[in-house]
Amino acid sequence: MILSLPSRDWLLSDDPETRMQARLGQAYRLARALMRNPLAMFGLAIILSLLVVAALAPWLAPYSPLDGNLQNRLRPPSSAHWMGTDELGRDILSRVIFGARITLFIVVLVAIISAPLGLLIGAVSGYFGGWIDRILMGLTDIFLSMPRLILALAFVAALGPGIENAVIAIAITAWPVYARIARAETLTFRNAEFIAAVQMQGASHTRIITRHVIPLCLSSTIVRVTLDMAGIILTAAGLGFLGLGAQPPLPEWGAMISRGRAFILDQWWVATMPGFAIVIVSLGFCLFGDGLRDVLDPKGKSK
Amino acid sequence: MIEIENLTVAFGGTPVVHGVSFSVARGESFALVGESGSGKSTILKAIAGQAPDWTGSIRIGGEALRRWRDRAFVRRVQMVFQDPYGSLHPRRSVDDTLSEPLAVHGIVGQDARVLAMLDAVGLSRRFRFRLPHQLSGGQRQRVAIARALMLEPEVLLLDEPTSALDVSVQAEILNLLADLREARGLTYLLVTHDLPIVSFLCDRLGVLRRGRLEEVSEVTLLKSGHLQSDYGTELVTRSAGH
Amino acid sequence: MTLLRVDNLRVRFPTEQGEVEVVKGLSFDLGRERLGIVGESGSGKSMTGRALMGLIARPGQVSADRLEFDGMDLRALPERDWRRLRGARMSMVMQDPKFSLNPVIRIGEQIGEALQFHRRMPARARKQAVLDVLAAVRIDDPERAYRLYPHEVSGGMGQRVMIAMMVVLEPDLMIADEPTSALDVSVRATVLEILDDLVRRRGMGLILISHDLDMVARWCDRILVMYAGKVVEECAAGRLHEATHPYTRGLLASVPQLSETRRRLPVLDRAAIGAKVGART
Repeated sequence: MILSLPSRDWLLSDDPETRMQARLGQAYRLARALMRNPLAMFGLAIILSLLVVAALAPWLAPYSPLDGNLQNRLRPPSSAHWMGTDELGRDILSRVIFGARITLFIVVLVAIISAPLGLLIGAVSGYFGGWIDRILMGLTDIFLSMPRLILALAFVAALGPGIENAVIAIAITAWPVYARIARAETLTFRNAEFIAAVQMQGASHTRIITRHVIPLCLSSTIVRVTLDMAGIILTAAGLGFLGLGAQPPLPEWGAMISRGRAFILDQWWVATMPGFAIVIVSLGFCLFGDGLRDVLDPKGKSK
Repeated sequence: MIEIENLTVAFGGTPVVHGVSFSVARGESFALVGESGSGKSTILKAIAGQAPDWTGSIRIGGEALRRWRDRAFVRRVQMVFQDPYGSLHPRRSVDDTLSEPLAVHGIVGQDARVLAMLDAVGLSRRFRFRLPHQLSGGQRQRVAIARALMLEPEVLLLDEPTSALDVSVQAEILNLLADLREARGLTYLLVTHDLPIVSFLCDRLGVLRRGRLEEVSEVTLLKSGHLQSDYGTELVTRSAGH
Repeated sequence: MTLLRVDNLRVRFPTEQGEVEVVKGLSFDLGRERLGIVGESGSGKSMTGRALMGLIARPGQVSADRLEFDGMDLRALPERDWRRLRGARMSMVMQDPKFSLNPVIRIGEQIGEALQFHRRMPARARKQAVLDVLAAVRIDDPERAYRLYPHEVSGGMGQRVMIAMMVVLEPDLMIADEPTSALDVSVRATVLEILDDLVRRRGMGLILISHDLDMVARWCDRILVMYAGKVVEECAAGRLHEATHPYTRGLLASVPQLSETRRRLPVLDRAAIGAKVGART
């Protein structure tokens, strides 16, 4: 059997013949709509660069991120060190590149922990209503009302500093937002006839929530997660800045900024270079998230 | 087949249906008519389990109904909703929607059954993997009817099944409903405000006014233009006039 | 006197599959009479109404050989001039008062807004004009209604408020797009009566757009039947049963009657009609 790439017509066909064709067609339409948004594509490029840099760090970094040459300390950006060197003579570019791994690690872990948790709680809350809703939302409110950084601080203070604890701390403050969003989304269709129809077929609540409610909450959650990435990066950087996240000598961007504080006036590059990295990556996520929202959740959902 | 006795339903605390009693024989097509707010849809919802706050007795095929609908019940009674736009899950294809009831009850042979049902409701097989937004109102309503029939129920509850459809499409759906009833020996309980539909599709009707049953009559009486009660006749006159 | 002259009106929208024409060459004249435009979804009837009011926004495009209102060429009218026309000389009543009335502004104020924009009046005179028009749409207690918010009134009353808002400036032309579809069956007749009464008394031209053939036949003088963007039938309301086009005849035949005896209802043969109309399937 000859395998050929699916043609555009096959993907856009109004009458798909198999489930697979229908799914691929939908994905294709989404991708094309997204591609029409130059800003979103720019954001995607940044995100992909982050992934590539993180994956290929050992090959891309010109020097070791951890070994420094004290005779070379605090050198300004030059052809030998594109981003200059820090107070221990380490190449900042290499540290930024390896720092991408840490950033990615934090961001992905936080997303994986907080989003599904928030989604589930919100969907259950919105679906059942009544006292279940009140209890769950009360819980959500408690966590929502805590300032993110302070709660993270408290957590890390209790468990000790380190990346893993920073991740847990941030995740704990991130899930309430997703719960709220999922609940709001669920409420918009909770009383719709298609839910009544499924109930009338004898489906259990679990089945309805997992197969009918949650899929409808996914797009807004995904969009929100993407947009939140920037905030997560900044919170992690904040924790790093305070010395509570990644511990030295790990090249976490926030920690790098923190140590560069002392030299900010004369050797600005030590703090600013990782700062640029943070800004660019956050921007990438924001732009992509915006584009994703336009495509997944256009005004006036399809009738 | 359906026996309702002294049914009182409250919605949000306020009683909306007061002591309604009527029965529908097996294979019969019965209509509940009335203005909006008369409680006709509420009665349907109570039977379907969507309005849990009721007293009185509801029996289907001789068995009394309990609060939450169990599996056996849903295989006997199914519902077709009013709004074709709202009654299908927006992210699930026609195939998904039709396979769902089978999956819930662990019925095998989904492929064959789905295809057979598409044929039975006059939907081309090429629509099988389309999403609701790719279908017209009439096509969606056919899917809704197909879905209701997947579990091979004996009773269909129909809540204004054509009021959201274009006139030309309405005729097709009404014909389909008449065909299906004949072919499968179904019992229909239909709610509508449109009296001519009752003349076409039903054998008997009940007139509701503010939650109370004013009369129950044969449709032949309706066709003559004069119902038993004054209110019923007024409804008929208004319908003909407009 | 001819209020509206329309010749070869076309409305186009770009889509992924190329350009789609939703109104394909509509032509008619309207005097101070009641014209009904009947069609099902996708017939282009609503788009026609919007095009006449200049409400088709980009990327939609409107073109016509002639589109004149009271001698004025509407085709290239700048937005500022449209604003002066809308509400004052031509107005539109839409389907659902839930969505067409501003929910956070009281009813009296909303109606007064139209007066404020188009005419200079002292506040007291303006309030009186609003109360007068509320009485004209047969609202029982205009003073009370004046102070209510839209969500505090029923559907039928909301629609009457909408009509009041649209007639307060005494326009020459009123376009009503499915004015009763969102209302209870029991109040539809009342709302239509009020509309009809106002139109007659003030000598307005009325275009009633609806999918309900019976309603249009009852409340209009002339009827245009639209299918797939084209007019397939034009006749006087009283002579609807003499209609010749298969679409109209098909529609008339497919409605169930109160004294129904047919076992199955006749169904439109869309292929044949499509071929006759020359429409794309």
